[in-house]
Amino acid sequence: MKRIADGAAPYLYSAPALILIVTVMLVPLVLGVSYAFRDIQLLNPFSGAYVGLDHFRALSEDQAFYRALRNTLWWTGASVLLQFVFGLILALLLDKPFYGRGLAQALVFLPWAVPSFLAGLNWAWLFNPVVGPLPHWLFGLGIMSGPSNILSDPQLAMWGPIVANVWWGIPFFAITLLAALQAIPRDLYEAASIDGAGPVQRFLSITLPFLAPTIAITILLRTVWISNFADLIIVMTNGGPADRTQIVASYIFTQAFKRLDFGYASAIALVLLALLLAYSMLIVILRQWLLSKD
Amino acid sequence: MASIDIANIQKSYGIHPVLHDVDLKIGDGEFVVLVGPSGCGKSTLLRMIAGLESVTSGEIRIAGRRVNELAPKDRDIAMVFQSYALYPHMSVAKNMSYSLRLRKTAKEKIASIVSSAAAKLGLDPLLERRPRALSGGQRQRVAMGRAIVREPKAFLFDEPLSNLDARLREQMRAEIKKLHKDLGATSIYVTHDQIEAMTLADRIVAMNGGFVQQVGSPLDLYDRPANLFVAGFIGSPGMNFFEGTYLNGTAPRFETEGGVVIPAQPHPALTDGARATLGIRPEHVEIGAEAPDALKATVDLVEPTGFGIILHLSFGRSGFKAFTNDRRFLNASGSLPVRLPVERLHFFNAAGNRV
Repeated sequence: MKRIADGAAPYLYSAPALILIVTVMLVPLVLGVSYAFRDIQLLNPFSGAYVGLDHFRALSEDQAFYRALRNTLWWTGASVLLQFVFGLILALLLDKPFYGRGLAQALVFLPWAVPSFLAGLNWAWLFNPVVGPLPHWLFGLGIMSGPSNILSDPQLAMWGPIVANVWWGIPFFAITLLAALQAIPRDLYEAASIDGAGPVQRFLSITLPFLAPTIAITILLRTVWISNFADLIIVMTNGGPADRTQIVASYIFTQAFKRLDFGYASAIALVLLALLLAYSMLIVILRQWLLSKD
Repeated sequence: MASIDIANIQKSYGIHPVLHDVDLKIGDGEFVVLVGPSGCGKSTLLRMIAGLESVTSGEIRIAGRRVNELAPKDRDIAMVFQSYALYPHMSVAKNMSYSLRLRKTAKEKIASIVSSAAAKLGLDPLLERRPRALSGGQRQRVAMGRAIVREPKAFLFDEPLSNLDARLREQMRAEIKKLHKDLGATSIYVTHDQIEAMTLADRIVAMNGGFVQQVGSPLDLYDRPANLFVAGFIGSPGMNFFEGTYLNGTAPRFETEGGVVIPAQPHPALTDGARATLGIRPEHVEIGAEAPDALKATVDLVEPTGFGIILHLSFGRSGFKAFTNDRRFLNASGSLPVRLPVERLHFFNAAGNRV
């Protein structure tokens, strides 16, 4: 009896935490995955039957889904790239001492603190020619032929949420890259400048190699977050016009909460999960390979 | 190889001056050591020569050319840092060849230069390693290798041995000296360690509080320190000082504040009754000498170092140290006869300058 009690002790100690994790994380996950194989429609009281792979078959012929997949690539790629480039430039600027740097660093962080729905609404208004200045400025600069709303232009609509997303996400890159920059020993730059390296060579041979691990991990994280991030799109364009800004995440939202087809939405979510897992694995393997090369 | 001329150099950070009117001519192939306590401005001076700090006023010339406005890379100098500052993501060979690669030197030439430098420094088996896989002494060697592959006009060393343990420091010190003998390159070496300064330098520049205190050969500074600072800084254990009055007359002598009378040689620069400081090195204090002019000193403490013995003695309230190799004094206690030989005495006037 005592032996059993002794053997069970570790499990009993960890039980409260394990039970909590299982109930709040695993149960919803399993439930969500199980929906993908069932016919669950909120407005149909007779739904709920097991349908096997029907949803996935429907999905493979769903042109709207493929368009959403392409849009997701476009949305994620452009957002991450621009956030990274501007974040890096901002971090490099903030790394040099100047008067009022403390204040500037605090201000840079500000967009990150704005709730995404508020940011989306704000940018939607900024792009609205009735209340916002942006279309008039773009028209004045000759970039647009008339002060119209780019959010209603099928060719340009995606740029609206991307711009909002870049504005909102720059601080993340700026702050993490700045922290990494400040960890680079200054005397390496001094040694390099004595060795004959100019500013560009110093950046390429010291700054970049030191930032590489941070860049890899932040880009990985942001890619996963942004491809899952439907808030701005839902608020600004709701996937329109004509599904031109529909990404997979917003498509899931539309299927689940507009069409109330939870089964189909779960199937799409499962595919997205698989894609993101594959992407993450790829990055992790790449990272291991790079590290093992040393 | 080149000479370096430093003329009326000043440096201030805002309103705070850190270097005052430094003048120094360093000859071709000379090994000059800047020595002084932390914050004396020696590193700042070195960094100004390297071009890492701007010059507030004055002029620096390397091989006759004014370099005040030149970027570090255009001065053709090499520097060894206290932290080594090796590029951690490059192999030893890549670290050493970085400057050559920046200059677009031919690959075959780089390979031969690096391998000959590696042979000179005993780095051959380590060329493919990263700096983090090296010991402190090996990193130090790589830092030196990085400097010598360039064959620069001058080498600058910024406390290069401070991060090493005592044994390794001794060994690297000798290697640096040997390297300088082989290459004959103009070198400026910053340290706070007076042993390094004494052993390496052709000429020492002693600095304190942003002022050059004395420039001279190591033995000059040891034998004829220009002021109290240099006298106290050079030598270990440090020089003993007694404050008191110089008394002229038939028998010139020095009376300490405690009333001890020490016989002295006549000093024309000191007037009768002048306030002065008398200095004597611990190794010059003669103990146990039964002479008519011997003084009685109390033994406070005995510190055996193995090589010799440091005795902490005192005349009344004024303590001083004596160094001896005579093991008879290992168990010294009570009082000892002590002689301060007149020819070994240093006198400093009220302003602290040698007379």
